[in-house]
Parts: sequence; structure tokens; C-alpha cells
Amino acid sequence: MAFVEQHIHDAPTSFWSKYLFSFDHKVIGKQFLWFGIFWLLMGGLMALLIRWTLAYPGVPFPIIGHLLFPHSDGVVPPDTYAMLFTMHGTIMIFFAITPILIGAFGNFCIPLLIGARDMIFPTLNMLSFWFSMASGVVLLASLALPLGAAAGGWTSYPTLSTNLGQPGAGQTMWLISLFLFGVSSTMGAVNYITTVITLRAPGMDYFKMPLTVWGLFLTSILNAIFVPVLGAGLLLLTFDRVFGTTFFLAGAAATSGKGDPVLFQHVFWIFGHPEVYILILPAWGITSDLLSFFSRKPAFGYKMTALSLTTITVLSTVVYGHHMYTTQMSPLLTQSFMTLTMLISIPSAIFFANWLGTLWKGSIRFTSPMLFSLGVVFVFGLGGLTGLYLASTSIDLYLHDTYFVVGHFHYTMAASVLLGGFAGIYFWMPKMFGRMMDERLAKIHFWCTMIPLNGIFTGMMVVGYAGMHRRLYNPFIYEFLQRLIPINIFITMSAIAMGLAQFIFLYNFFKTIFGKNIPAASSNPWEVGTLEWELPSPAPHYNFKEIPVVKSGPHEFGNPNLKGDRDFQYQTEELVKV
Amino acid sequence: MMTNNPGKELQNLKNQVGMTVALISFGMMFATLFLGYFLVRSNSSTWPPVEIANLPTLLPFLSTLVMALSSFTYFKLEKEVTYRKHFWFATMALGLAFLVLQWELWGALNASGILASNGHVPSMIYAFTWLHSAHIVMGLMTLMWLGHFIFRKPEAVTELKLMNVGKFWHFLGVVWLLMYLMLFVL
Repeated sequence: MAFVEQHIHDAPTSFWSKYLFSFDHKVIGKQFLWFGIFWLLMGGLMALLIRWTLAYPGVPFPIIGHLLFPHSDGVVPPDTYAMLFTMHGTIMIFFAITPILIGAFGNFCIPLLIGARDMIFPTLNMLSFWFSMASGVVLLASLALPLGAAAGGWTSYPTLSTNLGQPGAGQTMWLISLFLFGVSSTMGAVNYITTVITLRAPGMDYFKMPLTVWGLFLTSILNAIFVPVLGAGLLLLTFDRVFGTTFFLAGAAATSGKGDPVLFQHVFWIFGHPEVYILILPAWGITSDLLSFFSRKPAFGYKMTALSLTTITVLSTVVYGHHMYTTQMSPLLTQSFMTLTMLISIPSAIFFANWLGTLWKGSIRFTSPMLFSLGVVFVFGLGGLTGLYLASTSIDLYLHDTYFVVGHFHYTMAASVLLGGFAGIYFWMPKMFGRMMDERLAKIHFWCTMIPLNGIFTGMMVVGYAGMHRRLYNPFIYEFLQRLIPINIFITMSAIAMGLAQFIFLYNFFKTIFGKNIPAASSNPWEVGTLEWELPSPAPHYNFKEIPVVKSGPHEFGNPNLKGDRDFQYQTEELVKV
Repeated sequence: MMTNNPGKELQNLKNQVGMTVALISFGMMFATLFLGYFLVRSNSSTWPPVEIANLPTLLPFLSTLVMALSSFTYFKLEKEVTYRKHFWFATMALGLAFLVLQWELWGALNASGILASNGHVPSMIYAFTWLHSAHIVMGLMTLMWLGHFIFRKPEAVTELKLMNVGKFWHFLGVVWLLMYLMLFVL
């Protein structure tokens, strides 16, 4: 295995070098965390505006409605509604989940968990964050445009996203913003992949890496390969809008010549389906580790879990067509994509069964990270199973573009990733900021999130199955949907409850970081054996004074030969034998 | 690449892996463009389409020649330590000449009435060459970065720097060759 010599750099002293233009992976990780939390709140507020409109069409949004929409007496106008669901999707996927799961945990965890002093390319790492920042500024600025921000959906299909569907600069700024974000993600991916390949501590072979690192490593591979595909599509769409090319223009949208709007769908989903796994793989990795840590048992079928994640990564690259069953693909293609999509359920079932195997007869500690991890198991189970419906061509033709799809992908991409993200924040908080978050508040946060979350997304699947289409400003102008108003009100009330529950998290988070008289966390409060827990809390700027030598796996719990009051071993210790 | 210092050899590995991953990313972007080309071509009943009947041939051919020559001069730059500065100048000049030829190509296309808005194929010709030229500008910037070491700090010109800049430059040459064949020859 490659081992690259790493130097200890001097600690940064000025405010600029320490907090803004830092090369330290831990600081950059925290920058991504703050960035992601800001956008999570923005995206969350937009979700509430969308939900309010669906439950009470024509009724002013409470409290801040008149401030946000003074020209419509506090009611969300139809064009703004389209902008809101577009920006909600874009923000949550690219500016909230990606920075938190990949930017924050990827940066913070990878070097610490593999025994490295920093990322392999610290300057590239810093640039990656500032490119994200620039893309965020462009997106935020687009909200202030006279004709508003992009409103063609997060998928931005032409012709909705062409000059005909979207006059004004909002869509173009969306394209530029996402391109910048893609550059940032690709920079991050190059860094993560190279770091994992070359900077693993001596003895840390691939099958001794924590599954969190596996998840982040596989995510980075997908990012490096497929984000540039989206980049190409974004550039071509920009050329169509700005320079008059006709890649995706057809019919009235094309002044001359003819293009193919469906071509964009191909390019988008070649990236878009791996993107689902880009988002979820880190959450799966974190969950796989935490289930073992808090069941006080080695991860059941560790190698098979790692290989299943790898298999899913490979399969995720060849299933994109299931998003396009309604585009009149040839039956041979739809059947091929259906079969390949169904195949993903095999490795998914393997690692899901391994999760249950890890829990089986474990000495479970119901800490807050464990509760959120169990939440991931539950919601991913539901999200995965409902995916089978949509993979099947015949059922998808009916369910396509209904709220069933919205419920399904929120269960997989939003719920499980959000819960996985919270699990990670609660778990690594002591190593990030040197303080433990309040466990009681964290558990209240879990239940106040978990219950309404299921109300929202199960409700969505129910109304979707009843035929309610997504992206309609007021679905209830259709008589057959009017009987779904009560359940839509229930979904909205659940969403408001879940939104309010996040204030518990925010209070706990800010109080822990900035509050007075918060005791310092010990170096290993969770009693876990991975490398970062041998360091003081918070981790010093150089991470490891001596590069550790790894001798055992990440989940060495409950070894019957272990003497003393510890039930775990550090990765730097030889496995205890009789 | 073998060196006498195993630590240094491993140190070099990080940059080799990093550059390889970066090239895969760049490659995927161009591969997406080529995928679009193949989809359009496979769906066309006639090829070449009527709108590109009068496509200029000399300028793309000269561009290919210049690009191939620049790859050769870069290859010599890596090998010929004594004449390194000369070959650096030659590669830079050829890179700039390539950009001038591309500029002329866009002008010639415009003069023949082939505009970006004329349909799929003219859109592809313009967009592909725009994007490739943008990457050539990036390539020239990496060459200038290398030039800084060649002229100011010759002792810091490592085999690794030469190899990584070279990989990117040759990669752009291969991409151009594929574009030339697809758009102007086949």
C-alpha cells in the first residue's frame, strides 16, 4: 500500500488563515457544514411555502406571507410557486445535502478516519469550498431578479428551461451556479479519491476502512465520473439560451433548425441517477458504522456490505432510463432498464439484511446518533421498497410525475440522508467542536422529526397513488382531486411540525458551540475504536502527532478475550486472542 | 516512473493519481458531447446534413496539424533538457496558433452562412470547438505555470510537473483529433 510522507504544518494564527481561507480539512468541513445548514433552512422554508399552497390554495401564508408576497396579499403567486419548487429541489440537493454529507463529513472524516494529517491537496480543498460559495452567491442573487429565479423544475427540462419557457436571466444564472457547483464537486472528488488511495495509514487496507469512508470514497468516484456529464449538459443549455445554439430547442422554441429536448433528459439522468447514490452512499456508510458502534457488535458481513455498496455504485451507472419510461423509448430499452433497476435490489437487500444482522442480539445503546441511524434503516426500507413500483415500467406509466414519485424520492434522498446527516452531526460533534450536544434535546429532536417526517412522505405517496400530480399550483381545480384536500392538510401540518422541530436542533447546536459552561467532551465519549477517537476532542490541527499503524478493523466490539472494563478495541491495537 | 528515492516515488504517486482522476472527469465531459453527436448521427437519415454542405476543410486540417506538432514539441520539451526553453516556446506558439486557427474557423463558418442557430450539427461544431478552445486556454495557462519554473527555477522542474502538464496537453490533442474526425472527416 502506498504511504506518502506527511509533514506537520504550523498552526494558522490569523483570523483569515484560520477561519476563512483555511487549508485544514477540519475547518473546511465545518465551513461546508455552516454553508449546508444555511441552505437547509432556506430550502426548508421554501418547502413550507409549497406545502401551505397545496393545503390552502389562495390563503395568505401565515406571519411572513405579506412580507414575502406584498403584491398578492401574502398568497404565493403561481409563477412564484414554480420558482419555489425548482429552487427547493435545487437547494436541498446541491446546496444542503451535498455540502453537509459530502462536503462536511467527507472533509472532516476522511483524513481522520484513515489516519492522515490532512487531505492530499489542501489548496484544491479550499478552492472547492470557495467555488461552492460562489455558486451559492449566484443562486441567491438570482432570487432578486425582476423575472425571478429559475422555475423549470430542479431537472430543468427543455423546453421549460429554454428562453421560451423561461425568459429572463434566472435560468441562466441557475445554469452558471450549478456549473460552478459541479467544478467544486469535481475538485472535491479528485481530492477525496486521491486521499483515500494514497494517504491511508500503514496497515489500513481497504477492508479495514470504516464504512463511512467506503461510502464517501464510492460517492467521490461517482462524482468524478458523472458530475462532468451534467456539466456538459448545463453548458449546452447555456449555449442554447445565450448564443443561440439549438441542441434542445424544438417546435416554437427554435427560431431555425431543430434540436431534441429529450437529449437533455438523457444527459441529465445519466448524471441524475448516480446523483441519487452520490447523496445516499455517505449516509449509508455512516449508518453502517453507527449501527455497529451502538450495537456494540462488529458490523455483520462487513465485507459484503462494502462490496454491496460497490455493486450498487456500479449498477447505478446503467439504470438512468427508468426516469424516462414515458419518453417513448423502445420496449427493448425500457425492459433492459427495468431489469437493471430491479437488479439493484439484490445488493441493497444484502446490506439492508446486514444492518439487521448487526442489530440482532446487540447490546444496543439508544444514543441520539443510534436513534437517527435506526431512523435511516426505517425510512430507507420504505423508500427502497417503493422504488420497486417505479422501476416497473407498467406501474411507472401510471405513477410517473405523481406525488408517489415525490414521496418515494423524498424517503430515499431526503429523509434517509437528512437523518443520516443528523446522526453524523450528533456523533462527530465532540470531535468537531470539542463539546457534546445535549442528548435529551437530541432525542426529542429525533422523535419530533421522525413522526411528522413519515406523515409527510407517506401522505405524499397516498395522494400520489390516488392520482395527484406534482408541480400543479392548485390541483384541486380538478374535481376528482378535491377529496384529497384533507390529507394534503395533514401533510402540510406534518411539514410544519417537522419544520418547527428543527428549532430544537438549532438551539442545541448553537448552544453547544457558543454556550457558556458547556463541559468539554472527553476524547472518546462514545467508546468507539476508530482512529479519530484516539485524538483529543476537538482534534488538533495536525490530527496525528505520529501517523498511526492500523492493526485491526473498525468495529472490534465484544471480543470475549478482552480483559478490563472496555468492550471495544482501538484500530491501532492487535486483536486480543487467548 | 522510477527514482532512486522510494519516498519521493510514493510522493509522486499522489499527483499521478490526482491527475488521472481529473482527466477522467474532463474525459467524461467530452464523452457526453460525443454521445450527443452519436445520438444525432444515428437518428439522421442523411449524413452530412444539408446545412453543413460547405464546411471548411483546410482550417480544421491545419488545426489538427498544429495540435499534433505541439504534442511533438512538448514531447521534445520533456526529453531535451538542453533545448527545453526552445521547445517550451514552440509549444506555446503552436497552442496560440491553434487558437488563432479556431478563430478563423468560426469566421469561415460564419462567412459560409453556417450559424450556431442553424440546427443540431452547426450547434455541435460551434459548441464543441468553443469548449475545446476553453480547455486549450487552460492548457496554455498550465504551460505558463511550467514556463515559470523552466525560466526562473530550473531546479524545480520535476519529471512529475512535466508529466502532468504533458498529460493534459496530449489529452487535449486526442480530444481535438476525435472532434476533427467526427465533425469534419467522417
